[in-house]
Amino acid sequence: MKKFTLCVISILAIYMGLAGGQSRKPGLTLVERTQHLTDMYRNKAVLRFNSNKFKDYVKGTPRNYSMIVMFTALAPQRQCLICRHASDEYQIVSNSFKQTQGSSKKLYFAMVDFDEGSDVFQMMRLNTAPVFMHFPPKGKPQRADTMDISRVGVSAEEIAKWIVDRTDVQIHVMRPPNYLGTVAAIVLFGLVAGFLYLRRNNLDFLYNKSMWGMTAVFFCLTMISGQMWNHIRGPPFLHQGQNGQIAYIHGSSQGQFVVETYIIMVLNAAVVIGIILLTEAAKGKKDSKQTKIMAVTGLILVSVFFSLLLSIFRMKTQGYPYRLLFV
Amino acid sequence: MSQAGSKKSTSSKLNTKAGISSLLIFVILLLACIAGFSSRLFAVIRFESIIHEFDPWFNYRSTAYMVKHGFYNFLNWFDERAWYPLGRIVGGTVYPGLMITSGSIHYLLHLLHINVHIRDICVFLAPVFSGLTSISTYYLTKELWSAGAGLFAACFIAIVPGYISRSVAGSYDNEGIAIFALQFTYFLWIRSVKTGSVFWAVAAALSYFYMVSAWGGYVFIINLIPLHVFVLLLMGRFSNRLFTSYTTFYILGLILSMQIPFVGFQPIRTSEHMAASGVFALMFAVATLKYLQSMMSKSEFKSLVIYGGLAAAAVVFGAVVLLTYAGYVAPWSGRFYSLWDTGYAKIHIPIIASVSEHQPTTWFSFFFDLHVLVATFPAGLWYCIKNINDERVFVVLYALSAVYFAGVMVRLMLTLTPVVCILSGIAFSGLLELFLREEVAKPEENEAEEEHTTPKNRKYDKVGRVPKMKHELNKDPDGIGANIRMIITVMILLLLMLFAVHCTWVTSNAYSSPSVVLASYSGDGTRQILDDFREAYFWLSQNTADEARVMSWWDYGYQIAGMANRTTLVDNNTWNNSHIALVGKAMSSNESAAYNIMTALDVDYVLVIFGGVIGYSGDDINKFLWMVRIAEGEHPKDIKESNYFTQQGEFRIDAEGSPTLLNCLMYKLSYYRFGELKLDYRSPAGFDRTRNAVIGNKDFQLTYLEEAYTTEHWLVRIYRVKKPDEFNRPRIPVANRLVKSPNFVSKKSTKRKREL
Repeated sequence: MKKFTLCVISILAIYMGLAGGQSRKPGLTLVERTQHLTDMYRNKAVLRFNSNKFKDYVKGTPRNYSMIVMFTALAPQRQCLICRHASDEYQIVSNSFKQTQGSSKKLYFAMVDFDEGSDVFQMMRLNTAPVFMHFPPKGKPQRADTMDISRVGVSAEEIAKWIVDRTDVQIHVMRPPNYLGTVAAIVLFGLVAGFLYLRRNNLDFLYNKSMWGMTAVFFCLTMISGQMWNHIRGPPFLHQGQNGQIAYIHGSSQGQFVVETYIIMVLNAAVVIGIILLTEAAKGKKDSKQTKIMAVTGLILVSVFFSLLLSIFRMKTQGYPYRLLFV
Repeated sequence: MSQAGSKKSTSSKLNTKAGISSLLIFVILLLACIAGFSSRLFAVIRFESIIHEFDPWFNYRSTAYMVKHGFYNFLNWFDERAWYPLGRIVGGTVYPGLMITSGSIHYLLHLLHINVHIRDICVFLAPVFSGLTSISTYYLTKELWSAGAGLFAACFIAIVPGYISRSVAGSYDNEGIAIFALQFTYFLWIRSVKTGSVFWAVAAALSYFYMVSAWGGYVFIINLIPLHVFVLLLMGRFSNRLFTSYTTFYILGLILSMQIPFVGFQPIRTSEHMAASGVFALMFAVATLKYLQSMMSKSEFKSLVIYGGLAAAAVVFGAVVLLTYAGYVAPWSGRFYSLWDTGYAKIHIPIIASVSEHQPTTWFSFFFDLHVLVATFPAGLWYCIKNINDERVFVVLYALSAVYFAGVMVRLMLTLTPVVCILSGIAFSGLLELFLREEVAKPEENEAEEEHTTPKNRKYDKVGRVPKMKHELNKDPDGIGANIRMIITVMILLLLMLFAVHCTWVTSNAYSSPSVVLASYSGDGTRQILDDFREAYFWLSQNTADEARVMSWWDYGYQIAGMANRTTLVDNNTWNNSHIALVGKAMSSNESAAYNIMTALDVDYVLVIFGGVIGYSGDDINKFLWMVRIAEGEHPKDIKESNYFTQQGEFRIDAEGSPTLLNCLMYKLSYYRFGELKLDYRSPAGFDRTRNAVIGNKDFQLTYLEEAYTTEHWLVRIYRVKKPDEFNRPRIPVANRLVKSPNFVSKKSTKRKREL
């Protein structure tokens, strides 16, 4: 379950004076309203509302359409990173909807930016952004008409799922295809092929066992330090506690931080290098002094770094009785 | 180690030396087997000779059926007590190797008039096979490197937790015998590649057949061996030996594997097996080219290779695509697919994602299961690559693929463990071989004596072949210095000792719980056995009708069938997702909606696991969200996961929990009458110890069910589903009422039936 940091907006500071507003013309009829919406909708997938438009089209009755509204704060000075991300995903959903069933007139997508319609935020009693709300054709929005983004996140698929839930409109999310991966793969492949072609008369490096060996050992180290877990679960890089202290090591055996896995990787690598050094030293092909240095370095690497590894392991296991050099 | 100096000795000396070293090897392997066997007995000693966990109960039940009714009846067995009302064709949906193995041991022993109960054979099968595993690991490592490394590897695998986790006594599961089959197949394959003899290839195919009959993980072999061959071809290491062994192995292995009913035509129809046939075709192409090369000029040959190669590749690719589209070749199955696209299962298949074994692996689990080996096996890998040859290509590929799979899924740590033992064996024997080397001038007798002391050492540390230092005072042969040498040796021995104690600690603490019987320790160290599961199952078997149908979450299906011998709706063989979703829906709906589902499924009893009294965390409320998720996947209109969370998105069972949760069937069945219970003086009534909260819905009655039995520690609660005439149905408008018989009596009662 992802937790998003919602951007908290101090409404009161900005609200001053906006409340008065200009006097509003009497409410539109349903026909007018639908007509306006359809006109606006022709140009844009997401209608941008200020407070007047919001009152006319979203709060005004009668309606025969559902309205999905994103309340957000996109202005750069609000520094709301998640808003921008959510807005991108929202655009994807609304575009998908427009392309497939744009003329259905049952559902419209709108957004209200805080800097354009702060009194709407006031009216809806919102003090965080982004918020996704559904306004049904009849009646007031229920609790479930506000999307629970702290639990499901803001991905386009989740938004579409929520919309199906609320309105029974099935939206097939079509992301603009991401060519980046394909392009990168082709470029990489081309580079490797070109490199091989250029070096076609001198392919000795392919027979370089050290290179292959290092690649293989590196791959093993990545896996045993749990990088795959990071890739799948996406843990935080490190943990910052309430009063500023930083935890590099996850307290429980069930989890890990990204930085923790790097530490483990380095420790494991040091032990591996230590063992290789020891073996090479004992083979004794070099002169005496050099062998001695190698042996001592290997000894230190293996014993110290393995002890460290064991200590970190001990920190995460309750009641583990064994240790080597350190507590 | 012992071969090092033997070249110079005379032939008689050679004989005695060879004799001594083979005696040593024998003794060390024997001790490794004994150590492996005895460290797997924690559960038997602490509890009793009992089958563990969930899947083993099914295996045990089928084995018992096979022993009782014979092999052919077993193959044709249709189990009408599982997956009610669908039933399950057991003979065609199991890997029968496990049952056949213990069945034949049973048969043999009874032939010799040794009357062992089949349960004891099942309990002790895995520890016995771990001994065989360590012997075959020795042979495999010997083929790959040296006998010394082999002994290390054998000792490692005998006690390493990564393997013990699946092979303690009582854990009667496919993996227990499959790792032996895996290692043995690899040994025979390496042998056949080295010799190029048809004999060894046939032996490898037979061993592969045994593996196919034992475990679905055989797919690993049938992909790894072709990968080995393919890489050898890429490296230009084609030879007639390779050609002979692979073609023989592939054809025989293919035909044999198709004899297993559960596997059937999969080897020629699914994508998992396609690599093997592709390499088979490639092998012939390469062999033909080699032959043509000897008859053609260089330029002709070059153009033939280029055009022929392109044409062949296009034809093969087109054929595979066409066959897939035509439906002859099935795409990858979900479990395999989730190995490649790591986000796949999380999004699409909650039933795979819900199993804890299918989670990715943290570094902690790697270290927990392998300890020092995890940090040393890359060194062994390094030396294998540095001194590469045909068979070491194999072990390198084995290590790389296994480490990847282990990273993706915790349960595949099991396939990684053997290769880690092999490579660490290579690393450690490489080290000790050099650091314990005798001075070259010394006579041979010394070495033999030194070797001789090892078995005695082994009794105490069980780690490996760790000869005593005898040359502390010797002049150093190559300039490291005797002191440093000694310190290094001591350090290595220390590491090995730490490994041994770690293995024992982990085995004793983490992997030796039967999970059918629980134990808790009070403050003064006395042990209390919580035998609620068997109590409840025994109650079911004694107090319910023989054909009664019990609904529970799928985890407990095998145990109910195995111990209570009652019909279940879903069990651990999760082949029918929609059926499981239906049960999940019943559990997560309110009582009346659930009652409709339960009547539709003819449910007589509902069984829930509730840990709130004793603080058992693996109970149904903690698993509940998975039930909701799985139900939502099939019935998105009726069940919505978000309804079970509070507004803040929390899953709470106290007064602030969502009303949907507080009124669903699972909640009510778990907490029925729990609000009246005061566990101790400090906590209020209805305090759930597992979730550390006072429950939110305390005072409620059940309309459609009645409590039938609750075990001593409330761990298992069984409810009887009332028949439609037994409860006060909702009010019917006067106009619609029919005249009833005058002697209608309400039987509504919440009296506990403990006295039964």
